[in-house]
Amino acid sequence: MLAARSAASKASRLSRSFATVVDAAGVKVAAADYGQPTSAVTVLVKAGSRYEPKPGVANVLKNFAFKATTSRSALGTVRESELYGGVLSSNLTREHLAVTAEFMRGDEEYFVDVLSTFVTSSKFTPWELSESVLPAVAEETRAASGDSATRAIELAHALAFRNGLGASLFAPSHPSVTIDDVKAFAAQTFGKGNVAVVGTGISQDKLAKLVEKHFASSASAESPSSSATKYHGGESRQGLHTDLQTAFIGFGTSGVPSPELAVLAGYLSPQPSVKWSQGTSPLSSALPVGTTAQTVYLPYSDASLFGVLVQASSVDGVKEGVKASVKALKDASTSVNPEGLQKAIAKAKFSAASIAENRDGLVASVASKLLSNSDVSLEAVQKSIDGVSASAFTKAVASLLKSKPTYVAVGDTNALPYADEIGM
Amino acid sequence: MFGPLSFSLAPQVAKSRSVYNLLKPISDWYAQASGYRQMGLKYDDLLLEERDDVQKAIGRLNERESYDRMYRFRVASQASVQHKDLPKEQWIKKEDDVRYLKPHVEEVWKEDMERAKWDSIQVQKK
Repeated sequence: MLAARSAASKASRLSRSFATVVDAAGVKVAAADYGQPTSAVTVLVKAGSRYEPKPGVANVLKNFAFKATTSRSALGTVRESELYGGVLSSNLTREHLAVTAEFMRGDEEYFVDVLSTFVTSSKFTPWELSESVLPAVAEETRAASGDSATRAIELAHALAFRNGLGASLFAPSHPSVTIDDVKAFAAQTFGKGNVAVVGTGISQDKLAKLVEKHFASSASAESPSSSATKYHGGESRQGLHTDLQTAFIGFGTSGVPSPELAVLAGYLSPQPSVKWSQGTSPLSSALPVGTTAQTVYLPYSDASLFGVLVQASSVDGVKEGVKASVKALKDASTSVNPEGLQKAIAKAKFSAASIAENRDGLVASVASKLLSNSDVSLEAVQKSIDGVSASAFTKAVASLLKSKPTYVAVGDTNALPYADEIGM
Repeated sequence: MFGPLSFSLAPQVAKSRSVYNLLKPISDWYAQASGYRQMGLKYDDLLLEERDDVQKAIGRLNERESYDRMYRFRVASQASVQHKDLPKEQWIKKEDDVRYLKPHVEEVWKEDMERAKWDSIQVQKK
């Protein structure tokens, strides 16, 4: 009993300690140690695709991670990391570029060095671009273009936000990116003030000390410019030979993401809480058999995109599914039953909390907050979701529906419904 | 001394000022007498290219360099077919005969050496 209580109090202390962000040599550092057997360190750079000066530059820069630096070659990085048993990865979102190393406790000195040298002293040789980076970029683009859901979401972003956030995460299939573009983008974004370090399974002091040592030589960089995001909306259709017909109907808002939309995602989400059962959301009962739908809620720093992605093997299934989604959205804008809202709030809180539990989700959830100096605690998020009232909820949905919808159809474009045929 | 391409004493010669000054006129005369400049070629055009590392290095030339390289080959093969040298004003000048390919070959060679090192490394636990 006592042991359990002390463990609980320790856990709460640790989760609080994550919220403290220290400044180490001008780089923000946040770390949490829950006693995991492995550590992970992520270097976040505000160099997402929304800031890229040319299509594909951000993706190319992402694939330049762990290539030759002044201190070690690409081969040396890979072989040495293998000897330590670490895993290196890089990830690109619309806002950030994240470079991550996962490793055994005690090896942090080496891996923080690997991550920091990418930021401080990458060589960006032209032959690495042509020999290893561009093939990887092309393969990523190819894989993404074959996936109808990814394609629909990318198209939806382009329609909804046009520039900035509308830029694709993937490079065009024939990118005109030169090494000078990559160098210029890196020089513009890699620097103090634009970089944050997140660690899990490592103590804050230790990480801060390492960061201070390794990022000391880093120049300071100004935050990359991006005009304030405006929501536009529109319709687009793209032909694709796949088994899955896909449609996305969504709406966007500009400004700071509101907790109402997170609750709306929980409210509509047809994902059941129990396996092999039908969910109880207003959307799940209306979906025809064989049609899957998922709510897509993507909050960004100054805008958010909310929508429903409907997929089915038949065009009719998609048509019915999209109609049901639109109807469920319209119903939610007029009235909401208190019980359903209660469930949605609980669901939204749970998903916000459970995302913060795994490493990737944690980094994603604190990323934007770390680089914009706001509250990083989970409690604050939970509290804002808790505070959603029925009237505020319906009002938020109604104002969301007033904007021009973003409608994307991917698959058999001859048969998939048009935006004016889905009951908008 | 043992570079990627051949055995060479040039680095040792370059170390000593007096030996360098003594041998430089001879080497200049020898390079001119070899006759490749008279065909419009640079010395690095003569590197043995049927090797993986040199092929990789050729792939690393920038567009301008590889275009010029192919152009010199065309000119030289035409001169060879005609069994005569180019007109004197088209000879490659001494100052234009730069080692444009050698740095790339050495880079590739270093990478191969590093790979060999990592392939046969003995790891010791500290």
